[in-house]
Amino acid sequence: MDSPAHPVSLQVKDLRKSFYGVPAVDGVGFDVVGGEIHGLLGENGAGKSTLCSMLAGLYRPDSGSIVLDGDTVQLRSPDDAAARGIGMVYQHFRLVDSFTVAENIVLGDAAAFGRKARRGVEERVEQLAAEYGLEVHPSAPVWQLSVGERQRVEILKQLFRGARILILDEPTAVLAPHESDRLFEAVRLMVATGHAVVLVSHKMQEILGHTDRVTVLRAGRNAGEGVTNSLTTAGLATMMFGSTYTGASDDEPRALHTPGDDVLAVNGLQVTGDHGRTAVDSVSFSVRRGEIVGVAGVSGNGQRELHEAIAGLRSSTEGSVTIDGHDCSKLGPKQRHAAGLAYIPEDRLGTGLAPGLPIEHNMVLRSFSRRPHSRAGWLSSAAIAKTSARLVRDFDVRGARDGMPVSFMSGGNLQKAILARELTEHHEVLVAAAPTRGLDLAAAEAVRNHLHRERDSGRGVLLFSEDLAEVLDLSDVVLVMFKGRVVGSFARPDVDIEQIGLLMTGAATDEPTSAT
Amino acid sequence: MSGIPALFDRVVVTPRAQPSVSLRAGVPLLSLLAALAVGAVILVATGADPFEAYRTMFDASLNGSAAIERTLTYATPLILTGLAAAVAFRMRTYNIGAEGQLFMGAIAGSWLALALPEDLPAPLMLTAMLLGGALAGVLWAGFAAVPKAFLGTDEIITTLMLNFVALAFMNYLIFGSMSFWRDPSRPVPQGKQIPDSAVLPAISGRLHLGFAIAVVLAVLIWLLLRSSTFGFRIRTIGDSHRAARYAGIGVPVATLAVMSISGALAGVAGAIEVSGVTNRLDPKALAIELGYTGIVIAAVARLHPLGVVPVAVLLAAITTAGGSMQSIGVQVEVVVLLQGLIFLSVTAGEFFVTNRIGLRPGVVAAEGSGL
Repeated sequence: MDSPAHPVSLQVKDLRKSFYGVPAVDGVGFDVVGGEIHGLLGENGAGKSTLCSMLAGLYRPDSGSIVLDGDTVQLRSPDDAAARGIGMVYQHFRLVDSFTVAENIVLGDAAAFGRKARRGVEERVEQLAAEYGLEVHPSAPVWQLSVGERQRVEILKQLFRGARILILDEPTAVLAPHESDRLFEAVRLMVATGHAVVLVSHKMQEILGHTDRVTVLRAGRNAGEGVTNSLTTAGLATMMFGSTYTGASDDEPRALHTPGDDVLAVNGLQVTGDHGRTAVDSVSFSVRRGEIVGVAGVSGNGQRELHEAIAGLRSSTEGSVTIDGHDCSKLGPKQRHAAGLAYIPEDRLGTGLAPGLPIEHNMVLRSFSRRPHSRAGWLSSAAIAKTSARLVRDFDVRGARDGMPVSFMSGGNLQKAILARELTEHHEVLVAAAPTRGLDLAAAEAVRNHLHRERDSGRGVLLFSEDLAEVLDLSDVVLVMFKGRVVGSFARPDVDIEQIGLLMTGAATDEPTSAT
Repeated sequence: MSGIPALFDRVVVTPRAQPSVSLRAGVPLLSLLAALAVGAVILVATGADPFEAYRTMFDASLNGSAAIERTLTYATPLILTGLAAAVAFRMRTYNIGAEGQLFMGAIAGSWLALALPEDLPAPLMLTAMLLGGALAGVLWAGFAAVPKAFLGTDEIITTLMLNFVALAFMNYLIFGSMSFWRDPSRPVPQGKQIPDSAVLPAISGRLHLGFAIAVVLAVLIWLLLRSSTFGFRIRTIGDSHRAARYAGIGVPVATLAVMSISGALAGVAGAIEVSGVTNRLDPKALAIELGYTGIVIAAVARLHPLGVVPVAVLLAAITTAGGSMQSIGVQVEVVVLLQGLIFLSVTAGEFFVTNRIGLRPGVVAAEGSGL
């Protein structure tokens, strides 16, 4: 390896990036020098990925600066970033399956093609692999490799191109434990040879176990930093999820009604995920009239599968779902809706709304086949327009124009449109998945007010959110999900934020905790 | 900072939410003119007189009633296969099988024309032929639709394969066997002539009633997609399967229905060709890729049922003009090139209808000015 006179250094100062007016990274700073591993810790949606994409040259920052070895740089493209020695290893690999390891490593470098050049490349790859313990056969086609090996190829690719700063985005998300251990051994070797490594993760244990310094992100901002040795799980949890929550909102007037009968009951539910693994594992709970039950958890722990199974979009293998007294376990989404379920899906544009179709169409998505929206199979465009206009007015949906695809509208207005449709139809229980994700403050507040109103009108609300502060703020009962199971249940006022934070990250004992 | 990459850096493409009517009509016309201008250069380069060539083209396809009749007659099956593709593609069900469904419609239509009593009143005979053709198209599409709806089989592959089966079957009936369809009185293999009662009456000259039927069907399909709850379902599924499932729309049932409509349209096209043009089961005259051309037409019409009609007519005009250009000495390769150019240009023009092209203010240029 070339050993530069000064260790490489990267400083990020007050970086900002918004998408359609919604800030994703809102003033983040950190620095890393050669020879250290710097951890970036934060929940999903804290802005880690956007930050990395800016460092990798994929996005251009709105403001702020990136200082490399003392010089402020503009990273114009991923190529540009790579040329300056910043190498990004994405969570989702970017490899061509039918090419060999060596071909993937030199992809995009025309000079490296040809038989003679290839032999040189393969030798160099073998050297690098041996040096860092990243064993992989240079002439093997990528489709034959395991996930762990593919990741090694990605890392080798960056080293081959001369990366001095390596950014690893959630590198262990796809790895088995023993593969993770190997990965960190390799990372240690890289650091020992003068590389700087940025380890991006939402797993506290990983950050505590393998980094020298940590920067914690929350809602696109710095939420704390420090030398890893001086930090504790509890301290990190507070930084990640916020300590502002003090239970003060207990003083506000809560539910007007004391909780009533069960309006949604889930019993022993077992759901298989997209990859054939059990995603929801014997989950049981109930939501009563006049209460909000919030489900907390780091995303990817079975929340999506759970609410999809409740809505009837995903089938369950065992257990039952009862909506307002009707057993709906074997029914489809339409019948569950008829039984009294309103559902705000996580995926606003695509599930909750048909993106390419106009607002009128989307507002009657549930009711188009009934009067007055249609008669004898023919739509009444006048009645549909009237309903749509009324909902748009009542829920203050802005930016909609006749005939314009809803995908042109902002996230907040899309969510209001879904709320308008779901809450205007007859329903007894509302299941809301990530209802405020990506919304600006005003829109998020409007959504929360609707959830309160639902509760106060004697309906049940089941809230899924990655934003722990929001769950704590809104819910009467907090459930914690981890690895497909409900690992904790807390009823107000006995809500222990520290304990919840630990349960969410799997740091607490796996014994289900209950304060009910 | 080199100029060209910097300029490209500044080009901003934003989708238009609602393209205006003048844009929708104006851009295709400008595209057509642009294609003719580029074509003129090619014609000059190959030694032809572009003015004479374009006049011949115009005369052959659009000048005078005979030319117009020829063009519209050729457009008739293309409208129907274009609709067949448009209605299915609207739901993102890719029925590539209009070709085979058309053959099966032609086989069923000619069978009814030959098997039913010759002295049947013409309206009855023609109704039977067209319905029979439609039914045959539905059944043939069904071989792909049922597995698609219930097992998720890829309909692109199954419908495409069924085209070859249908073609082989039709060829067998005339060239491979002494079938019911084949005329035994002739030594050269040929289909039996259908009775007069089975021939579609003319609207004008050689233009037959089939053209009117195709246009009426285009309007009906347009209404069905736009104003019926069935159309609502199709549009929802076509836009997002997940949103459709969320709304409780049954995707398998809709798949069967849409494939049936698509197959019926292609089947009717086959029966109409037999009844109005070939007057016998004539594989050589039917296997001219009417089904595949329909896919191109649907795509250019952006899957709009009413758009299919003018696009089919345009394509028919280009095709009928092609033959006459060769007669004045323009090489066949140049004719095909011109046809492709016109179509490509009109299709590419769509980009400017659906997108707005602009330049970002010259931030990049200002930054680089220090160099």
